[in-house]
Amino acid sequence: MFSGTTSYIYIALAIYTVIVIIFIWWENRVMKTNLLAKESEMQRRMYEVSVLKELGERIGYSLNVQKIVDVITGSLRRLLPYSTVSYLLFGEDGRVIFHCILEDSVNKDFVLTVKNRMIEALGALAGQKISLDNLDESISGTITDETNKQQIKSFFNVPVVINNRPMGLLNVASTSAGLYKEDEMTILYTIMNQASTAVSKLENILNQEKGKLNSMVESMADGVFMVDTRNRLLVINPAAKNMLGISKVQPTIFDVLDALASKFDLRTKIEQSINQDKLMVEEQLQVGTKVLRILISPVKDVQNEALGAVVLFHDITKEKAIEKMREDFTSMMVHELRSPLTGIKSIANLLREEKIKNEQKKYQEFIELIVSNSASMLDLVNDLLDVAKLEAGKFQVVKKDTDIKKVIETKIQSFQALANEKKLGLASKIVGELPIIQADENKIGQVLNNLLSNAIKFTQQGKIIIAGFVLQKGEDLMQKAMSAGMIWPGIKEGVKFEADQLIVGVMDTGVGIKEEEISKLFNKFTQLEQSAASEKKGTGLGLVITKGIVEAHNGKVGIFSKEGQGTAFYFALPLNHEDKIQKTN
Amino acid sequence: MDKKTKILVVEDEEILLTALTEELNQEGFEVVGAKDGIEGVEKASQEKPNLILLDLVMPRLDGIGALKQMKENSTTKDIPVVILTNLSDYDKISDALSLGAMDYLVKANYRLEELIQKIKTVLERKETGAGPAAPPPPPASK
Repeated sequence: MFSGTTSYIYIALAIYTVIVIIFIWWENRVMKTNLLAKESEMQRRMYEVSVLKELGERIGYSLNVQKIVDVITGSLRRLLPYSTVSYLLFGEDGRVIFHCILEDSVNKDFVLTVKNRMIEALGALAGQKISLDNLDESISGTITDETNKQQIKSFFNVPVVINNRPMGLLNVASTSAGLYKEDEMTILYTIMNQASTAVSKLENILNQEKGKLNSMVESMADGVFMVDTRNRLLVINPAAKNMLGISKVQPTIFDVLDALASKFDLRTKIEQSINQDKLMVEEQLQVGTKVLRILISPVKDVQNEALGAVVLFHDITKEKAIEKMREDFTSMMVHELRSPLTGIKSIANLLREEKIKNEQKKYQEFIELIVSNSASMLDLVNDLLDVAKLEAGKFQVVKKDTDIKKVIETKIQSFQALANEKKLGLASKIVGELPIIQADENKIGQVLNNLLSNAIKFTQQGKIIIAGFVLQKGEDLMQKAMSAGMIWPGIKEGVKFEADQLIVGVMDTGVGIKEEEISKLFNKFTQLEQSAASEKKGTGLGLVITKGIVEAHNGKVGIFSKEGQGTAFYFALPLNHEDKIQKTN
Repeated sequence: MDKKTKILVVEDEEILLTALTEELNQEGFEVVGAKDGIEGVEKASQEKPNLILLDLVMPRLDGIGALKQMKENSTTKDIPVVILTNLSDYDKISDALSLGAMDYLVKANYRLEELIQKIKTVLERKETGAGPAAPPPPPASK
C-alpha cells in the first residue's frame, strides 16, 4: 500500500497538472481570441481602405458636393450599421437639399425627427437659421412603414466642410441602441475628410485659374462683360464701366442697357447672338465722347450648350478722328489744287479768243496769272510729295561735308530782296567757328528757306536774325544763346539742350504764335486746313517738311514764341566725332 | 433791260475772280469784284448789285458769315445770292440755302453756259417771287 506521504505527493502532482492544463487552455483561448480580433481588425482596415479607394475613384474630379455625398452614402452600408443615412446640403440660390435613404422600413416620424435634428445642427454649424421654405426634400431606399413604432436609438452627424466653409451634414440613424460611439466613427470622418480635401484642392486650383482670368479681364484696355442665357450680368471689367459711364461698383444688366438706351438695342443683339450662335458686330457707335466698336459673341460650354454671351467694346475714337482728319486733308488738298486749276482753265479759255490779243495789258495779266498759279500749284504738289516721302520713310538725305555758315550766308543773300520789300532787317550772327558737318546741303537749305519765308511772311516790322553756334559740354545754353544775340521769346526756365550740338535759330519780331497753336504747326492735317482759310499764301506744309528733314539728320526742331513779340524757330544737329576733329584741325 | 445787270463776285482766289469777271463781262453783265467776305458785304451795300456770286471758303470772313450779314442788312437782304463752292460740302450748302441763298454752283469744272443759265433762272425766280433751289442730295455713304 501507499504510504501517507506518497499519496500527498500524488495529489499535489495531480492538482499541479490540472492547473497547468487549465492555464495552457486559458492561455490558448486568450491567444486565439486576440488573433481573431486582430484578424477582424485587419479585415476591417482592408475594407476601409478599399472603400476609400473606391470612393476616391468615383468622386474623381467632381466639384459637385451632392454627387460626392451620394457616392459616400451609397457605399456606407458596408462599413456601418444604420436604419437611415441622410444628408442636408446647401445648394444653389439659397436652396437647401435634404435627402434620406431608408435601409430599414422606419416610420415617417423617424425621418421627420432625423430631418429636424439635422436642420438644427446645420443651423448651429453654419451660424444661420435654415429656412424650411427653401428646402428640397426627397426620400429613397425602402418604403416607410407606419406599423413600425421603433424610434431613433442611435444618431450621428458628420459635418461636410469644403475649404473651411460648412457645406452640410451627413447623418446615420438607427433603431438599435448603443451604436455610433465617437471612437467608432473615425471611418466616417476619414471618408468625409478625404472627400473634402479633394474638393478643396480642386476648388483652390480652379480659383487660382479663375483669378488669372479675372485679373486678365480686369486689366484689359477693351471693355468686356458677360451675361448668361437669362441675361444676368456675370462679370464686367472697369474699362467697360468707364466706356459706358457706369459708376456703380456692382452694376446689373439694366445699368448696361440703360447706358446704351436709345442708341443701340444691345439686348436684342445678345439674344440674336445666343440664338443664332453667331458673332454680332456693331462697327461704330457714339457713346458719350467715345466711338466704340461692339462685338457680341456667344459663349458655349464643352458640351456645346449655350452659357450666355460676351460683349466686347473696343474704343476706336482715335482711329475715327484720324480717319476724319485724313478725309478732311484729302478734300482740302483737292480744293487747294482744284481752285487754281479751274481758274487757269477759264483764263486759258479766254486767251484763246482773238479779241483778247488786242488788249495788251489784260493779255499780259492773264499770262502772269497762269504762270503764278501754276507755280504755286507745283509748290503744293512738291510739298505733298515730300510729306508723303517723309511719312513712308523714303525721304533721303545725302550727307556730305557741309559748311553751315556758308549755307546761312547764301540764304541771307537770296532773301534780302524780299526783306527789303517789307523794310525788314535781315542778318546773321555766328558765334565762333562753325564746324564742317556731315549733312545734306540742299535739304538744310530747304529748311532755312522755309524758316526764312515764314519769318518774313509773319513779320510786319523789325528784323530777322539767323544765329548759329555750337553748344559744347558744360556750356550754359542761355548764356551762349544770349552771346549769339538769340532772342527767345517766351522761353521757359529749365529748357535743356544736349551738349555737342550745332544750333541754328531763325528769330523774328513778328506776330508770334499762340501757345495752343504751337503744337499744330508740325501737323500736316491742321496746317493745310489753316492755310486754306488764311490770307497768307503757301501750303503750310513747310514746317512739316522742315521737321522731317531735321529728324532725318537725327536732329531736333523747336520753337519759342510769344504772341505780339515774335517767334524763334531753331534746329539742333548733333555733332559726331569726325565733325569735332575737323573743327580742332 | 436798258441798264446792264450788275453782278457782285465775292471770291478770294484771284485767278478765278479775274476769269469770272472777264467771262461775265463778255456776256454783257457789269461785274464788281470782292476778295473776301468783309469786302463783299461792303460792296453789296455800296453797289447794290442785281445778284451776288458768293464763295464759301475765304479769309477774314467766310461766305456763310458774309451771307448772314447781307441778309441782316435791309439794303442787301433782297439781293439774290448764288453760292460758289469748291467743297461739294453738303452741310455748308444746306446752311447757305436755309440762310436765304437762292442757288449754288460747284465752281470746279463749272461751265460758263451753266453759270449764265443759273444767273438767269435766279433773276427770273426773284421776279416771280419763287423760293430757293432744292438743296443738294446728301453725299453717298461710303
